[in-house]
Amino acid sequence: MSAEPESGGAPRAARPYRYAEQHTPPPPQRASEVAITRFEHVFEVDPRLMDVWVAQQAFPNWDTLRIMHARADHLEWMHRHFAATVVPASELIAEIEAPTAD
Amino acid sequence: MTATEVLDPVIEALHGVLRPDQVLTGRTDRYNRARVPAPFPVHRWAERLPDLAVLPETTEEVAAVVKVANRFRIPVVPRDGGTGLTDGAVPLRGGIVVDVKRMNAVHEIDLENRTCTVGVGINMLKLNEQLAQYGLIYPDDPASYPCSLVGGRIGTSGWSLIGARYGHTRDLVLSFDHVLPTGEVMHVGDGAGGKLTKSSSGYQLKHLFMGHQGTLGIATRATLKLYPKPEAEFSPFFAFADYDSAYACVGALARAGVATFSGAVLFDEWKVAYLRRDDEAYIPQPADVRALACTVLYGYDDEVRAGGRRLLRIAREHGARYLGDEISAGDWAARHDRYATPLHGRTRSGQVVPMSWHCEDAAVNYTDLPAVAREWHAIIGELRAKTDVFDDWGMFCYTSGSTGADYLTEIDVGIWEQQLGDRAWAMWVEAKRAIAAAALRHGGSISACHGSCREGEVDLVPEELGRGFDLMLDLKRTLDPNNIMNPGKYLLDRAYPDPGATAGTGDGGTP
Ligand SMILES: Cc1cc2nc3c(=O)[nH]c(=O)nc-3n(C[C@H](O)[C@H](O)[C@H](O)COP(=O)(O)OP(=O)(O)OC[C@H]3O[C@@H](n4cnc5c(N)ncnc54)[C@H](O)[C@@H]3O)c2cc1C
Repeated sequence: MSAEPESGGAPRAARPYRYAEQHTPPPPQRASEVAITRFEHVFEVDPRLMDVWVAQQAFPNWDTLRIMHARADHLEWMHRHFAATVVPASELIAEIEAPTAD
Repeated sequence: MTATEVLDPVIEALHGVLRPDQVLTGRTDRYNRARVPAPFPVHRWAERLPDLAVLPETTEEVAAVVKVANRFRIPVVPRDGGTGLTDGAVPLRGGIVVDVKRMNAVHEIDLENRTCTVGVGINMLKLNEQLAQYGLIYPDDPASYPCSLVGGRIGTSGWSLIGARYGHTRDLVLSFDHVLPTGEVMHVGDGAGGKLTKSSSGYQLKHLFMGHQGTLGIATRATLKLYPKPEAEFSPFFAFADYDSAYACVGALARAGVATFSGAVLFDEWKVAYLRRDDEAYIPQPADVRALACTVLYGYDDEVRAGGRRLLRIAREHGARYLGDEISAGDWAARHDRYATPLHGRTRSGQVVPMSWHCEDAAVNYTDLPAVAREWHAIIGELRAKTDVFDDWGMFCYTSGSTGADYLTEIDVGIWEQQLGDRAWAMWVEAKRAIAAAALRHGGSISACHGSCREGEVDLVPEELGRGFDLMLDLKRTLDPNNIMNPGKYLLDRAYPDPGATAGTGDGGTP
């Protein structure tokens, strides 16, 4: 993942690590009354709900993404661990909804 | 006598049957084997300490340890993964924790008879990694799949998420070697045991020696039934605007009689509201998603597709909205962790607090699910009205069998363990009792899955079992004359006329 080139630039792994850049997360978008999102498919509890009982920890961007990717890898692994393939329901729905020949 | 006077000769005797590195007396060794994941008042941790732990590696070593314990009348508590949710592996009277994790070898894989024989310290996930090279699987799949072990599955007679297709632990374990409370070794199975799946010879003892929560001895080596590793998995998730429609749909899916049907799950409105706070799949869902259902099939590709089409038609007739391939695949793959371990909940004002997960489970017939759900939420609602220590994380109902008769019915409750003082604990115990009573009132069982020996629920076990409970006492007294095997569990002390005379080194081990 880290070696992919990003929009024509140098591969990510080859780029210098910039502390300030890593510690500046993209601006939050509101995802719901209680959640925000900064990276695609990555949701966070609204930080306003975590200022009394839960200490906040600063996370560099790469670490947030690493955790999310590791989660995706784990889920993928779990599928393969139990069965060779996953049959997508969308395929079967298309079949049962297709008009019959007669 | 002081604790040292009691324990020193025991330790000496154990050194006669085990290597020094197999006898653990250190504080961390004991504290780490004093609890399970179910929340409890942590300020009372020391009350649950064993005096020592041992790590046997063979059946003979387990038998030798139990003989020592029986001779000195010292409690023995079997422990495997330590993930049990009814405190089965928690020592209540000190004594020796027999940690069987080192007995984790695969002794035999019999490809012709489709069985394997393993030490009970092995984990199903690790076993299946080895079986995969032969195209086989051992399909005991609890939500604790990555961390519970075969011996604990036997000790609890566990419940599997895909049990509707493959059966549960009691169906999948064919036989096992078992050390009785006196230290004698017995082989348990149908008839002669071994690799037989069915015998009508003699009493059916296998069930007796499963699910006893370590009160009747220690399983050491087990022969398990194997299946071909499935070619295909199918796990569609559906959304509904209301609970009643999701409930009707799940019932119809389960009753359809599709051969590859491995399970169906109903998520109620509380569960959806809970997921909507924190779960990436459900945060973006529109507000009219109020209940969910999913179904799962495993088998060969062609049979899964045929069954899948049939179930999709049924879902469509019930107004189900398909949630999409990505959510469906992701959610099913996350079945072992996603809902159990967010490890935070909310105060009534909405602030996030660190919480542990607790799951109260029961076996309930399909027709009683809605009433039980209403009563259980009311019980937790009352608790929450009084304190922020408890948070209602909603309910799941999972099919237990292939015909849809009864469901593992669970309510997940977030518990703020750091704030769980004696008052809140007493309220929780009262709530647990009320939860168990509701299940019984509706013709259910207190537990489909974890067992029922925790404070609160255990009080109702005699009521649930009736005359059967007296028989349990008779059996316990006969098999464990000195009450050394996991004393204090399941009200079994009642089997002994003079409780003071039975095994124990006090209230918990020496700190
Ligand atoms: C996140 C999570 C999800 C869970 N999901 C499920 C689920 O879906 N289905 C389910 O059934 N359970 C579930 N559980 C509960 C638990 O995992 C099961 O009860 C499991 O069977 C316990 O196995 P263990 O190896 O951890 O046993 P332990 O907790 O070590 O022991 C459980 C009981 O068995 C006894 N015991 C241990 N070893 C032996 C032995 N060798 N011989 C005789 N008795 C023994 C112990 O004394 C104790 O009473 C879940 C737990 C967690 C934490």
